[in-house]
Amino acid sequence: MALLEISNLTKRFGGLVANNAVSMEVNEGEIVGLIGPNGAGKTTLFNCISGFYSSDGGSVVFEGKDITRSSADQVCREGMGRTFQIVKIFKDMTVLENVMIGAFCRTTSPERARAEALKTLEFVGLVEKRDVPGGSLTIAEQKRLELARAVATQPRLLMLDETMAGLNPMETREAVELLRKINAQGVTLIVVEHVMEAIMTISDRIMVLDYGKKIAEDVPEKIAQNEEVIKAYLGERYYARS
Amino acid sequence: MTKERQLSALKVLGGVILAIVLLTFPFIFKKPFPQRMMILIFMYALLGEAWNILGGYAGQVSLGHAIFFGLGAYTSSFMLIRWGITPWLGMVAGILIAVVISIIIGYPCFRLAGHYFAIATIAAGEIVAITFLNWKLMGGAIGLFLPLLDESLLNFEFHSSKAPYYYIILAMLVVTVFIAYRIERSRLGFYFRAIKNDPDAARSLGIDLTKYKLIAMIISAALTAVAGTFYAQYLLFIDPHTVLPLMLSIQMCLIPVLGGTGTIAGPIIGSCILIPMAEYTRVYLAGKVSGLHLFLYGLLIIVFAVFQPAGLMGLVQRYRRRG
Repeated sequence: MALLEISNLTKRFGGLVANNAVSMEVNEGEIVGLIGPNGAGKTTLFNCISGFYSSDGGSVVFEGKDITRSSADQVCREGMGRTFQIVKIFKDMTVLENVMIGAFCRTTSPERARAEALKTLEFVGLVEKRDVPGGSLTIAEQKRLELARAVATQPRLLMLDETMAGLNPMETREAVELLRKINAQGVTLIVVEHVMEAIMTISDRIMVLDYGKKIAEDVPEKIAQNEEVIKAYLGERYYARS
Repeated sequence: MTKERQLSALKVLGGVILAIVLLTFPFIFKKPFPQRMMILIFMYALLGEAWNILGGYAGQVSLGHAIFFGLGAYTSSFMLIRWGITPWLGMVAGILIAVVISIIIGYPCFRLAGHYFAIATIAAGEIVAITFLNWKLMGGAIGLFLPLLDESLLNFEFHSSKAPYYYIILAMLVVTVFIAYRIERSRLGFYFRAIKNDPDAARSLGIDLTKYKLIAMIISAALTAVAGTFYAQYLLFIDPHTVLPLMLSIQMCLIPVLGGTGTIAGPIIGSCILIPMAEYTRVYLAGKVSGLHLFLYGLLIIVFAVFQPAGLMGLVQRYRRRG
């Protein structure tokens, strides 16, 4: 049985079908890349899976449990973490406090949450910044903080929405390393990313969305040669010429 | 001695001196005016702390908190007049009713974000005020006069001196501050601040927004109702204009905003500034310029909104960080 099973997930915004009967499976320990042109419905899919949107059809089953109608906070407590495309950190709280909020998902004790948060900060390499307000970090650090906060909830599946957008090549490499480290701890990852270099190297499998539909799903090498994918990204004309 | 130990020794010493001053105050200042002033400062500090739990920590700005104050006052007063039940039991009943009403108001209103929540609470406050204004059983516009009973703690009435009221409200404030302190250091306090900072991020980290907002609302309403009973026993008369006006709700919000929202000391500082200012302008400029304290309130709101949105505690924290 797969860790996450999505079948025929559909989400409409008025006349626009943002996700059209999307089905996918994610196995334990995998890193699955999710790509597609702007507006393909990647973030919408994340929002539907994580309970931020209620879907208009289809189902989401996580560890054998139907979570289609679960709210976002329930989904997190079930063991599925997420980050946001536009970082959402607690700006007035210190870096440590930010991560403690995540750790509080598994304990009510502030001491234990603090210890857990410090361990997580050590893990992502932000421990020196622990007493700095979240709002004063650089974008790269804020993205890492968001990741740390999600990791602190001890998820078995983590969904990352463009954690590398806006990072320089050096920071991107560090981010890829960090994702590998998190995956090595036994956390399954679904990664939305526009940085092709990163997603091609890190993913075990890649799924491609276009106009809300799944158009391809394969290993990275095959995806790079997939006709449908090239058409979606570069347009019909470019495909014809090549 | 290290600098930190010196500092903490200084803090303990300061605390002891403050406690002695507060406990001996009624023996030193025996006139009604200073005692009344202190009683009001304590009561509004309590109200500010109560409001601060919902508005300051959890970030849900309510402008209808007079509802819970009024419910506390009306419940205990009604039970005393009708059935002769001691106001202390009436206070417990008032807390329960305030909690029930707070859930009824909070549940639908918490779906609204930001300003819309504040507007909805204003509307709720006015609905409750108008209801009591027209409710014959509750004295309508005339209000309720509490029976004069023998002086005793059980009767919650003291006529020869205001001092007992002083100690009762001081004790209530101490308990409230203790509750706020415990909340601030628990998971609850962390969750409240997370919700205020970013509700979506809070949800993604497993926080049930409605549940925790309701918890904040319930604690806040319960503490506010306690102050309502106290005020009714202190005045021995209540009507919608004294315990349910919009102005009271605004004051409850303004005190922590002035002192610093989301801090323990904020509401106390705010009350120490705002209440004397209101009282003095009312006493000394009463005949000449009516409503001057309202004018000053308005001015203060503008000044703080523009120059110091974090309140006076924000200044203290900034200074500390630098030093």
